[in-house]
Amino acid sequence: MTPKSDAAISLTVNGTDHRLAVPPAAPLLDVLRNDLRLNGPKFGCGLGQCGACTVLIDGLAARACTIPAGSVAGRRIVTLEGLSRDGRLDAVQEAFVAEQAVQCGYCLNGMIMTLKALTLRDPAPDERAIREALRYNLCRCGTHLEILAAARRACGLRPDARLSARDGGA
Amino acid sequence: MTDAARTGDQEEARLVIERGSASGSAETFLIVHADGRVTGHNGHVDLGTGIATALAQIVAEELDAAPDQVAMVLGDTGRTPDQGPTIASETIQVAAVPLRKAAAQARGILLSRAARLLDAAPEDLAIEAGLVFAPGSNRRLGFGEILAGATIRAELDLATPVKPAEAYRLVGTSLPRVDIPDKVSGRATYVHDVRLPGMLHGRVVRPPYAGRDSGDFIGRSLLFVDRASVASLPGFVELVVIADFVGIVCEREDQAAEAARRLKIAWREPPPLPGLDDLAAALTAHPATPRTLSDHGDVEAVLPGSAVRLKRRYVWPYQMHASIGPSCAVADFRDGLLTLWSGTQNPHMLRGDLCRLLQLPPERIDIRRHEAAGCYGRNCADDVSADASLLSRAVGRPVRVQLTRAEEHAWEPKGAAQLIDVEGGLSADGGLAAYDFETRYPSNRGPNLALLLTGAISPDPQPSDMGDRTAIPPYRYAAERIRVHDMAPIVRASWMRGVSAMPNSFAHESFIDELAAAAVEDPVAFRLRHLKDPRAAELVRATAGRAGWVERSGPRRTGDGSGEGGKLYGQGFAYAVYVHGAFPGTAAAHAAWIAEVAVDRRTGEVALERVVVGHDTGQMINPAGVRHQIHGNVVQSASRVLKEEVAFENSTVASRDWGSYPIAQFPEIPDVDVLMLPRPADPPLGVGESASVPSAAAIANAIFDATGVRFRELPFTPERIKAGLDAAWGAPAPPARLEPAAPAPAPGTVSPRRRPPLLRRLLAPVLAGLAATIGTAAVGLVLRAPIAPVAPPDPATWSAATLERGRQLAALGDCAVCHTVPGGSANAGGRAIETPFGTVYSTNITPDPETGIGAWSYPAFARAMREGISRDGRHLYPAFPYSAFAKTGEADLEALYAHLMAQPPVRATPPATALAFPFNLRPLMAGWNALYHKAEALRPVVSRSEAWNRGRYLVEGLGHCSACHSPRNPLGAEKRGAAHLSGGIADGWHAPALDGTGEAPLGWTQDALYAYLRTGRSAEHGAAAGSMAPVVASLTGVPDTDIRAMAVYLASLSKAAPQGDRQAEAARLVAASEADIRPAQSLGARLYDGACAVCHRSGAEATLFNAGTPLALTTAVNAAAPDNLIRTIFGGLAPAASGAHSAMPGFAETFTDRQVAALVSYLRSRFARGRAPWDDVEARVAKIRASLSEASTAGG
Ligand code: FES
Ligand code: FES
Repeated sequence: MTPKSDAAISLTVNGTDHRLAVPPAAPLLDVLRNDLRLNGPKFGCGLGQCGACTVLIDGLAARACTIPAGSVAGRRIVTLEGLSRDGRLDAVQEAFVAEQAVQCGYCLNGMIMTLKALTLRDPAPDERAIREALRYNLCRCGTHLEILAAARRACGLRPDARLSARDGGA
Repeated sequence: MTDAARTGDQEEARLVIERGSASGSAETFLIVHADGRVTGHNGHVDLGTGIATALAQIVAEELDAAPDQVAMVLGDTGRTPDQGPTIASETIQVAAVPLRKAAAQARGILLSRAARLLDAAPEDLAIEAGLVFAPGSNRRLGFGEILAGATIRAELDLATPVKPAEAYRLVGTSLPRVDIPDKVSGRATYVHDVRLPGMLHGRVVRPPYAGRDSGDFIGRSLLFVDRASVASLPGFVELVVIADFVGIVCEREDQAAEAARRLKIAWREPPPLPGLDDLAAALTAHPATPRTLSDHGDVEAVLPGSAVRLKRRYVWPYQMHASIGPSCAVADFRDGLLTLWSGTQNPHMLRGDLCRLLQLPPERIDIRRHEAAGCYGRNCADDVSADASLLSRAVGRPVRVQLTRAEEHAWEPKGAAQLIDVEGGLSADGGLAAYDFETRYPSNRGPNLALLLTGAISPDPQPSDMGDRTAIPPYRYAAERIRVHDMAPIVRASWMRGVSAMPNSFAHESFIDELAAAAVEDPVAFRLRHLKDPRAAELVRATAGRAGWVERSGPRRTGDGSGEGGKLYGQGFAYAVYVHGAFPGTAAAHAAWIAEVAVDRRTGEVALERVVVGHDTGQMINPAGVRHQIHGNVVQSASRVLKEEVAFENSTVASRDWGSYPIAQFPEIPDVDVLMLPRPADPPLGVGESASVPSAAAIANAIFDATGVRFRELPFTPERIKAGLDAAWGAPAPPARLEPAAPAPAPGTVSPRRRPPLLRRLLAPVLAGLAATIGTAAVGLVLRAPIAPVAPPDPATWSAATLERGRQLAALGDCAVCHTVPGGSANAGGRAIETPFGTVYSTNITPDPETGIGAWSYPAFARAMREGISRDGRHLYPAFPYSAFAKTGEADLEALYAHLMAQPPVRATPPATALAFPFNLRPLMAGWNALYHKAEALRPVVSRSEAWNRGRYLVEGLGHCSACHSPRNPLGAEKRGAAHLSGGIADGWHAPALDGTGEAPLGWTQDALYAYLRTGRSAEHGAAAGSMAPVVASLTGVPDTDIRAMAVYLASLSKAAPQGDRQAEAARLVAASEADIRPAQSLGARLYDGACAVCHRSGAEATLFNAGTPLALTTAVNAAAPDNLIRTIFGGLAPAASGAHSAMPGFAETFTDRQVAALVSYLRSRFARGRAPWDDVEARVAKIRASLSEASTAGG
């Protein structure tokens, strides 16, 4: 019943097929980070609550910390590293650079991947939809205002839609 | 950036500005390399604030270098000066000063060398983008050319003049941050991403006194630890135990996590913590040393004569730094040398702690500082660094230690609770007559946990003196007395953003607002009259102007909250300057807030809609960076004020995840308008942190403006606000909808003692009587003849078709589910099956002749299947469902026999079943059989379809569904007739009714049944859990037609077939359950929102991979008893083999019983609205937890 630890599993990550001798019950997050040495997805809670570990699975946002690696064989997994093409950042990533939407950046992976998933299913979301999509992605640095600006930019809205009318500053 | 700079500084270094330290070794501040690159060295670290960019900007400015020519090395103990911890936003204000001087000094040295090369006077030369030239000449020299291979070491000269602010070209501009491109692409290496060759993974196992750091039980509570419980797990390397420090090292991270969970360990129960429900009482009772910071004008004499005299108390809760990434470190301890990769905030202080812990001199410890998740103060970064060091020392290899979310939450030194008592008064002319202020701050510098757990330092209470920050009010009171009560922590506490200044300012700024109201004056105008500092007054005026401050002489109370959605709107003001360092301290930036709130009269929700922040930080190095810091501080501090409070239970920290410690979510983020006063000529002040400080008072004052009610205790949760408004105004008319009240557990509720299962206790006397009766009646029937053993038959005698059929039947009958222990060999028996009469162990049904059924002939097998008689003539217990199997046809039984005999034999003797009297008398089963067992095959019902008849044969026969889904009578026999398949119990799980009388909110259709049996999940009902999950897994081997047939038969059992548009009905149920779900107004509601809603909210299925079923549709929430829901919350779900769903995490290690009970009661009230609340939920929770821990102990 309990899978043997040496059973190999197959994973398709960022377009590459991998065959890995890892325990199928190991969290996908651990396998991506430790076996495939990917830094993008981060460990934040292990309970699916914070979003730091978000990857795309078949185009949907997925919380890799709660997903046993053995349960996603054959699915298309994309991590932050897999967003850029030919060295060019994805539009969502570019929006984060443009808006400097990073403080410590630990939550950043989850923000970018969740927004990527949002733009995949809804290329023109409004402010409400953006905020709702990010509701369960937590950021402790309080980078929310810049992240929202980046999200608006990536979704074709004015980045300063909610802020700059009142926000002059230096 | 630090990595780039790390490549061999010493060999390449040419111009070094350094300072000889007392120990003889030199501290480096700046290096100009042979290739012209420049590295600045600073003992402070980048905590995610972009400080690396700002420091590089300062260096580039003084050198007139190109910004990308400069890199910073931050915090590595081997390469940076010891400048103390990175706290109080003082990096730019304090730590950058010598760096700037060093750059200016390097500039002078470079210019004088260039002067010789260019044949000009140094003062005639200019530098642009790192190139030196004489104006009018075309010749330009890079720094490398100027050095021309020379090596120069210069002693840092703090008297070096620096550029005047007017000459700045880079400082004051918003250069983009240097670290962002790598962070958005996943190239950045956080400390969590450090990987070394041969690196192992460690986890710690902490004592039960989470969050406590003084008392003689610290470091002395371990009773025993059972190495054998983990030693044979895959990948296990080492278990390290030093007093109360326990850590496990494994090859893989998932293995270490599993081993930490499985470790059998026992601890002494920690002594009780003083009750923290009443913080004011706890802080008043805690031993303290008063310290008077200011005393003039004799307050005690003045107060009684004041025209208005107010006495107020302000309470600040314990809060968390709550870094998004739990702390992590990698240590490599070899040959008496420790190299440590750490996210520490204070590398040099950590090195001191490690010297003590490991008995090493400082030069044997090399700390490489890496970025981590933002920490906002002292979190567990240093603790985990010490953990990793101890584990690496034990195994002699590099070890990475990652704390869990629960460990970080429970053990981080908290932001301390604080209690502030103020008494003050106005003179007859409305002047500030007196101010008597006392503050209590139970916190210290958070001694390293490993030092405490290993007993390297004594766990004595240690006070510190950090409660005095901004304790002096910014207003001129004629008489003033300011006292701070220094006190040791009650629970582990240390500095957190704003430190004591934030609570102190909450009091100052709330109180001045109350005085303004008492004086019937506008709160801003009143402040301006009394502010001491004209620079502060300027900021206050500018901020009020920017925000469109509306003058008022009392709360505006925009209505009684009954109209327009019950909302009341208000605007509140507060000002503060953050004073840090030893008293009287240094002032950082000034900040003023104008908060605009909407208060919902019915729910008590406070929505922060807009914040205007004025900020005066003197010169700004990078204005965009300053603005980001201000934004971050506004958002974080608003979260703290509105939502955050650490919960304590059972003398320890009960907030161990984001459900029990909610923080701001995107939809709540206010608009923020930042006003930054331009002051390029004034020295730079600490940035950012100041912007947090006025938050609480500004929001409280805005609530007052909206409602006329003062709130003096944080956080401003809907419950607190509603209670306050109700008290002031009387309760509003009851809302039209039903809001579930949080279950209020009786204080001091204790878990009931473990008892034998209820059923067993109640039935025992009856059963004994019955058994006696049967026993007498059954004489003569008890003995059955053994059937002679045979040699195991040769599997070659059966056709492939027969074997295949047998395989399918075994899958259908789930033989392996009961006859295999988790993780054990298939069908070798030994699995414990709980029955009301005791534990029955399943038998070995592999063809091993001695321990299994290898010696069983087919007739022996068939007799067992049909009559429940073992080959040797003994009666089997009806936990083995022979009553159902008896309905199986001859050919199928033969095929099943063939299949089992063709399996590999496993030699294994399962534990003997030992039931209590009278059930231990197996012969009694004969009487049982006489009463309840009919060994006869089913006759087809001709009026029904073939599929129906097939389905019935499978369901009622080998499928033995009724074994779990029918209730049993007191003698353990399935009830028949109307009770057949009307719901039963399996392994403590409720097996729902299959006859259409169940509690599923949507009835089961044939399609739903098919999807459920085939894939383990029906979108209309949810996933198979508990004992049903392995059944579905086993059914994978059964052909589609048979699964379909079972669905046909089961669907036909419902008296009324479900009809109508099922999707619409489901959508209606879900939408109804989520109406008015916000704001969360109880513990249960918050737990749901933080822990469950992300996957289970409606719409999640369209956006999230592996989303859960909306809870309104699940049977567990609608069931008569909460057991299945509780069990699922504890244990989570394993993925379905079909891929229909992946895992759900379990919360047994995260939530307390009280939290689970609150969650369960909330889910019932919210998602099963028409149903009665469950009783005694907390007792059920405790009981189920106890049974789970028993099972895990028994199962090993
Ligand atoms: S780490 Fe996966 S959601 Fe938090
Ligand atoms: S930027 Fe630090 S947690 Fe979001």
